[in-house]
Amino acid sequence: MSRQRALSPHAKTVLSVLLDAADQWSHGYELARLADVKSGTLYPLLIRLEAQGYLKAEWQPPLEGGRPPRHAYRLTASGVQLARANLPGQASAPASSRREATI
Amino acid sequence: MSASLRRGLANLACRTLQATLPPSLQSWGWAIHYETASISDDTKALLFALNSLCGLLPRAVAAQLLHPFAALFGDGALFADGLNVVDAAMRRPRALGILCATGAVLLGLAYMAAAGAPTRYLGTNIGALVIGLTMLAVLGRTVTAERCSADAPIVAMAGALLATALLGAEVEGAVRWVYIGGLSVQPSLVLLPVMLALFARTRSTPATVGIVSAAIAIALQPDRAMAGMLALCLATLTAIRRDPHVVTALAATVIGFAVTLVRADRLPAVPYVDQILYSSFDVHAVAGLAVLSGSALLLVPAIAGWRRDPDNRATYSAFGAVWFAVMMAAAVGNYPTPVVGYGGSAIIGYALSLLALPKRAGAPAGAAAGARDPADGSASDRHLLIALA
Repeated sequence: MSRQRALSPHAKTVLSVLLDAADQWSHGYELARLADVKSGTLYPLLIRLEAQGYLKAEWQPPLEGGRPPRHAYRLTASGVQLARANLPGQASAPASSRREATI
Repeated sequence: MSASLRRGLANLACRTLQATLPPSLQSWGWAIHYETASISDDTKALLFALNSLCGLLPRAVAAQLLHPFAALFGDGALFADGLNVVDAAMRRPRALGILCATGAVLLGLAYMAAAGAPTRYLGTNIGALVIGLTMLAVLGRTVTAERCSADAPIVAMAGALLATALLGAEVEGAVRWVYIGGLSVQPSLVLLPVMLALFARTRSTPATVGIVSAAIAIALQPDRAMAGMLALCLATLTAIRRDPHVVTALAATVIGFAVTLVRADRLPAVPYVDQILYSSFDVHAVAGLAVLSGSALLLVPAIAGWRRDPDNRATYSAFGAVWFAVMMAAAVGNYPTPVVGYGGSAIIGYALSLLALPKRAGAPAGAAAGARDPADGSASDRHLLIALA
């Protein structure tokens, strides 16, 4: 059984940015800039969110020729619930609404 | 720095990260690599890559270390949640330190075996690891970082260092060793790391007197490596949290270091102990990498704790500064290469210094030192003193 743990402020901010993006895909550099977190904080967080099913990640083909593909991210349905329950500056959500949050 | 150099360094950082990430996370390595490539500003791309490397490298190293344990479980369950196991390890600085110590000793054994060191050298290091971890386990049960009063242990350890300087075994004018059971032990390498890590969270007159006494003892021995360790650690603590105690201790350690620089140090390099950071590459590139990566492992608990546990950064900084200084001394002079080289003192010293780290990141380590129950603190002191005796 996974232990319940409150989300860090960085995690809440990143989730908020992803929540604002709604169905749009976000990229790592843009996310780091909008959430004002360093990439060294962002990627471990994204990895855990994806492993726990809160985040969907996919490779997108380059928009211009000669450019590399990019990894893009958006929240899953459970990720949206998690983000809404943990908005930045808001008191921690009740345990029931973040039952599986282990970020 | 030219644009092409910045871009080249960013690529190098990305490739380094990809080389260390476990297979299950390789796609994330490529994600960072390609994201870095998509950033048009070279400086921002370099910073993005370096930050990613700093954020993920400790976890990547820990994941590689934990991999054999995952194999023991057989079902890969340990890695089912990606970095969760690594993340859990990062949140337990002392447990992470045990893993790092074990990994570093094993890497050191690999180097020594490749270099043709006598078998008893390997046995000595294994024995020292067992002794060190046993002491850590025994003390860890009775002395928590939250409850332990460090004054009496620091003063007692300083006394032991002074006794070594006055009564220890002399080699080429240096008096740094004592003989226990036929083995030569360097008390400063065993005691100073834990002393300094404890001092980081204990600001009191007795503890300061202990550190000043230790600086005098090291100047008397003399030992530039240990004097440099004292000075670097106190300088780090001064930068983080300046107060009269730490400034006094810093002044004493800087003077002590200056004394050791003036005094002659004629000790030659000892095979498998000194100068192995470079000479290991003469044995084989893999042996050299084993020594380097084993040395790097020693700093992982400090880096992980510093990032994860802002409340106890002084302790992690002291811990990191201590072992970084020992490694730097080994790199520039004829001083023991800690843990990966032959010698049990550094291994026991590393294990003991883990006592100063909180068991869990975020647990208060020093705030209660001045407000603890005196009776409680005394009991803890006794346990620590008995075990160190």
